[in-house]
Parts: sequence; C-alpha cells; structure tokens
Amino acid sequence: MDGRTREYLEGRFGDYYRSTDVPLPPAPGEREWGVIPWSAGGTRMHRHQSLLDLGDLSDYLARSAPRHVYFSSARFADPGAASMDDKDWREADLVFDIDADHLPGIDPETTGYADMLDAGKEALLDLLDLLEDDFDFEEMQAVFSGGRGYHVHVRDESVRGLDSEARREIVDYIRAIDLDFDALIETRQHGTTTQRVLRTEGGWGRRTHRRLLEFVDALLEMEEDAALSRLKELDGIGDGRAKTILGAFRNNPDAVREGNVEAGGPGVRTLVEALAHETVEDETSPIDEPVTTDTKRLIRLPKSLHGGSGLVVEPLDRDEIDDFDPLSDAVPDRFRGRDIAVKVTDPGEVEFDGDSFTLDSGVQSVDESLGVFLMTRGRAEKVTE
Amino acid sequence: MRMRPLHARYPFFAAAREAVESADVAIATLVAEDAPAVERGVERVERALMEGTVEPDPDEAYGWDTQTELLSYPISRIIVSLVETPAAVDKYARAEADTAYERMLADFDAGDDDVHGEARANLDDFLREFDLDGAVRAESNRNRNSRRAPDHYWVDVGPYLTYSDTDWGADWRLVNRSLADGAVRVTREELSELLREAVRRRVAEGLPFAVRGSDAGDRLADALKPHVERLRNLLSDRGAVNVVYVDSVDPDHFPPCVEALLARAQDGETLPNEAAFALAAFLVGVGLEPEAVGGVVGDANAEELQKRATVLADSSGSQYAPPTCETMQAYDLCVNRDDRCDTIKHPMKYFETATNDADATAADEVAD
Ligand code: SF4
Repeated sequence: MDGRTREYLEGRFGDYYRSTDVPLPPAPGEREWGVIPWSAGGTRMHRHQSLLDLGDLSDYLARSAPRHVYFSSARFADPGAASMDDKDWREADLVFDIDADHLPGIDPETTGYADMLDAGKEALLDLLDLLEDDFDFEEMQAVFSGGRGYHVHVRDESVRGLDSEARREIVDYIRAIDLDFDALIETRQHGTTTQRVLRTEGGWGRRTHRRLLEFVDALLEMEEDAALSRLKELDGIGDGRAKTILGAFRNNPDAVREGNVEAGGPGVRTLVEALAHETVEDETSPIDEPVTTDTKRLIRLPKSLHGGSGLVVEPLDRDEIDDFDPLSDAVPDRFRGRDIAVKVTDPGEVEFDGDSFTLDSGVQSVDESLGVFLMTRGRAEKVTE
Repeated sequence: MRMRPLHARYPFFAAAREAVESADVAIATLVAEDAPAVERGVERVERALMEGTVEPDPDEAYGWDTQTELLSYPISRIIVSLVETPAAVDKYARAEADTAYERMLADFDAGDDDVHGEARANLDDFLREFDLDGAVRAESNRNRNSRRAPDHYWVDVGPYLTYSDTDWGADWRLVNRSLADGAVRVTREELSELLREAVRRRVAEGLPFAVRGSDAGDRLADALKPHVERLRNLLSDRGAVNVVYVDSVDPDHFPPCVEALLARAQDGETLPNEAAFALAAFLVGVGLEPEAVGGVVGDANAEELQKRATVLADSSGSQYAPPTCETMQAYDLCVNRDDRCDTIKHPMKYFETATNDADATAADEVAD
C-alpha cells in the first residue's frame, strides 16, 4: 500500500471513529488492549496496553485511527503489564471463531468472498443453536468479524473461570470430536428386563432422537412401498429389516418417542447410527479450536473497523442474523454517498453492497464505500481528485 | 465455635477451619507439647503417603477424640508442606479426598434415624460447602412415591467441566454426555466423584506453604523435624533408583533383607508399617504388578500389601522408591547380610547386580 492511500484511509478511519460510538465491553479496565496502526507497514501490534494507558477509548480511537483494534477476552489484575505472569489472569470470556477460510468444503482460492461469508453464516447459526439449546448460555454476543467470519463472545459467569482444557471439551462437544456413537444407545434395566434406549435426555443423543422422530413421522406419512424403499436406502437394511422396522414404528409409535429402540430389531440400530452421523454432519459447527482454547487471546473490538476490508466489526442481534448481509450491512454509512477517485490495480469480479460487477483497471470515480473496500483489500490506490 | 464431630469428619469444611481458628488452642503450643493431635497429624500424612487413606489405623486400640482429630488436619498440612516433595502434596490431597469420599458415601446412604446423625453430612451440606447448591438439581424420579434418593442429577456445565477430568475416561467427555439446557446429567455416584475432586482441590489449595521464614515458623519446623525426616526417609531416598526392568523376576536374586520380609509375610505375620512399605515398594520396584504382589506375600498379607502396591505403582518416578540399605538398617530390617551386600548401598541394586551376574553366567554357559 502506498503512502497516499495509507494516509487517506487513516484519515477516513479517524472520521468514522469521530462519528461513531464504539461501546466498551464489560470490565474494560481489566482487559488488555492492542492496536495495529496504519504507519510502518501496518503489521506491528502495539499490545499490553490497559485502558489507563489509552485513556478514553472513543477519544483514543478518534485521535489515533488505528488500522485494527483488539481487546483481550481475558480479564487481568494488571492488564498493562508486559508479561502474562505479571498481568495475573483472572478469567476470560468464552470466545468462538468461525473463519470461512477454514470451513470444510471451502477453498479460499476458488470460492468467492460472498459465498464464503454465506457458509460462515450457516456455521454461525449451527453454533448458536448449540450454545442456546444445549449450553443455555445467556450473555452471548455474535459479531461479524469484519473479515471472513464471525465471532461469538460468551460472558456467563459460570464459564469465565474455565481453563483451556475445559474449553477444549466445549469445542469437542460443538464439533462432536471423539463422539462415541455406540454409547448413544444404552441398555437400561427396567425391573427384571433390560431395554436398549437412545439417550434422549440431552447431548448428541437428544439431537439424534429428534431427527429420528422426524424421520419416523415422515415415514408414517408415506405409502408402504415408499416407506420401505426409504428405509432400504440405508446401508445394511434389506427387505426383512425394513419391514420389521416399519412394523414396529406403526404398532408402537410411543416406544420410539421415548427412545426405546428395542422393538424394531437390529435394523433400528443401523437406522439410528445413520441418523446420528447425519445429525453430526448437519448440526456441528466447524469452529476454530485454538481461538476458544487460548484464554489469553486478543479479539477484534466490535464496532471497530477492519483494516483489511474497511467493513464494520458488526455486533448482531439474534434476530438480525438470518437477513444479515455483511457486504452491505457492514458497510460504514459514513463512507457512503460521496464519489472519490481511485486507481484500480487488481481489476476483475467484485461483489459489494448487494451488487456484483466487473471492475476495469485504471483511474476511476467510485462511491467512497467501494473505494475504501478496494483500497483496504489492496485492489486499488488513492489518486488525487 | 464448638468443635463438632462433623468437623472432625470433614476437617476441610470452612466451618471446621473456623472452629479451629476460634478455638482456644494454638497449633504452636500443640506442636511444642507434642500433643496427641501431632501424633495423629503425622499418622494422617504417613497413611496418606503410604496407603492412600487418612483414616486412623484401625488396629490402634483407642480412637481419637473429636478435638484431636480435627486439630490434626492443620498439623498434617504443616507436615506435608515441610516434607517438601511435590508428589507428597499430590498424594496427600488425594488421600484426604478419597477418605472424604468414602465417608460421604456412607453418610449419604445413612438414614435419618441414624445414631451418628450429628457427625454425618448430607448431600446438601456438601453442595453448599462448595457453592454448588444452585448448580446441581436432582432429576425427579419417575416413580413419584419412591422415597429413594434420586438416581440422577443435573450439574451445570461450568461446574461439571471444572470438577471433572477427561483422564477419568471417555464417558466423562462432555461430547459423550447428555447436555441439555446448560446442565449435564450424571448419576449419583458420578456426582460424588465430582465432589471428591472438589475436596481434593480444596485440600491441595495453598499446599505446600512456606512454614519456615518467621521465628514462630522456624520453631514449628524444628519441633516437627524428627517426624518430617522420618517421613522423608520412608518415602524415598531421592534419586537413588528407578524401577529395574528385567525379563522375569527371580526371587533367588532378592537380597537377604527382602527374603526375610517375604518369609515373615508368608508365615502369616502382620508386618509393621515400615516393613510392609519396604516390601511392597521393593516388589513394585522390581516390576511386579500389584496383583502379583498380592500373590507372593501369602494370604495373610495379600490384601494389605496389594493395596499398598497399587498406591505405590500409580505414583510415577522414584519418589516412592524402596528404602536404601541405610534406612533398612535404621529400622532393623537389614538382616542376614551377605558378600554382595558389601558391594551395594541399595536392596534394588543388590537385585540388579545379582540378576545381571546370573544372566552373564547363563550366557557363558551357552557360549561354551
Ligand atoms: S545390606 Fe542392603 S541389601 Fe543387604 S541385607 Fe542389608 S538392606 Fe538388604
């Protein structure tokens, strides 16, 4: 990035911060803060700063207009100390990171930015479903990262003291790593008889059970032939087993509702196993493990600007997420409605602000929001008007 | 605050500590006078390190009174700090927790009309003690009329992750648990295991602490020195030996002292503490599995020594190495010395060289 572009962006970031209220996270004084300024290549992080060092945050951001702004998920006794030992760790928010770069089936080389963000949003919704339904966390904040993904900050008191190892357990649950599929079905004693029962009370057993019930409901709606061939689509289920399973579901639909999988014979086990794998494939969320297990990490500050996209690190209300489109909803209004001159150095396809178009190379006049987007992503440079 | 039997039973409870603090007895005085609480404190640590329990020796004819029992706890914490080996703290905390666990299970199972009611804690006492009363809920019994205690509980996921350990096995992993609405389903036994871990952490917290450094501390440490040194000797002769790995253990190569101990054990004698420790540690040291130890020492000692061996075997490193010849002599256990004894300083070394020499002889025979 050339000097003129850098200076321009720094100035405009400053304008953004002067016109925007950036809210502080809880306990801001106990957190470590870090910034990467525009100057000098813009890769060196100034960290180990406390709010005391920075002064009033809004004021600081308006004055210094950094390229990136971070704060620690952790709370410390002395956040400004230079070493972690001296900082004296107290507790840390539980943070999840969904990075579209690392999503399964996504190749950052060939997948468009908008498609990556879509895939990230799917992963975010799966994550939130687990955090709400299974973990029942209450103080949760979902945030568009400003780059290629999403963050979720969990601040429930009951998890803030957890160490890395405990946090890894949460990651493994969310990704269903090391899930023992066989143990989803238990043998339970009822008086003198035993019964094989799907663990319906919670966890991946409960999720599998829900899917099983949907499957059974759909099956019972079908004609006999259709139902049987649906069952036979599964590996290991032939004519005989399909009939036994269907018969059991028809004769005693309540049994399966209670998780009892004894009646349908060995075929039901096969069915449950297939559904369990489907459940895991569908409902896990591919969160980035090290971000969650590292209790001393710095995370982007919500409402700050991402220096590599010019987009707002946008906090999202739960009901906004479905319709949220980062490439228009996270564009800072401050930069809209004014044309600026830029020289496009990397022409080609662009998706931005609900539009998708081809960009020619050379000097041209574009809306400032697009100009900032292109410049921060290294695809254009500022030229004099 | 009055010292209650409950405090003696669970001396790590906050109320027990308060009772000690508000009592009109100074630990320093007890130590200076070598009061019974000191003897019991030493026993506590010794039994913890050697046998994995802090229960008083059941063979002792008399029991300890409430006050002695309770006061022995802070004294044992001082002693364990003075022993100054990390494994000792770890082992001690585990033993306190294991003992509390046994007592807890007995208490939870005891009915309301139990005669020892005053000394017993119930589940709610424990949950309150560890600030878990809001975090644990009983699952309602299917059979509402049942007066039995519930089979299952729901523990909030934060405390569950805090007090469980993935080393306990795959079924403790969160991913394999029923997690719903922020809580994890556990059985009654599993809940007790979580509480045992909470106890272990409470006991380990702040250990070891610096006893010396002030005049009063130095006096305390000096007064306890003989006990501490004896415990240290019992524990290890640090860095002396590691486990000797041999293909098979041939009792013909045991040193005379061990042969003698083995003979006494097989004759049905109940070995005194140091002797039992020395024998078990040696047998574990030469690579016998704890079960095998039970097999070679004769029926009368099988259970006791196997238990010791198990405790010893799962403490890694040389911390619990068998005693040196010097220590054996100090306990009058060095008997029937032979020529090889003049060449070694440790019974394990005796075994090692005897085994090697035999192998060398065997090899010579083949070569011929
Ligand atoms: S010298 Fe050592 S090995 Fe020999 S009998 Fe005595 S204690 Fe045992």
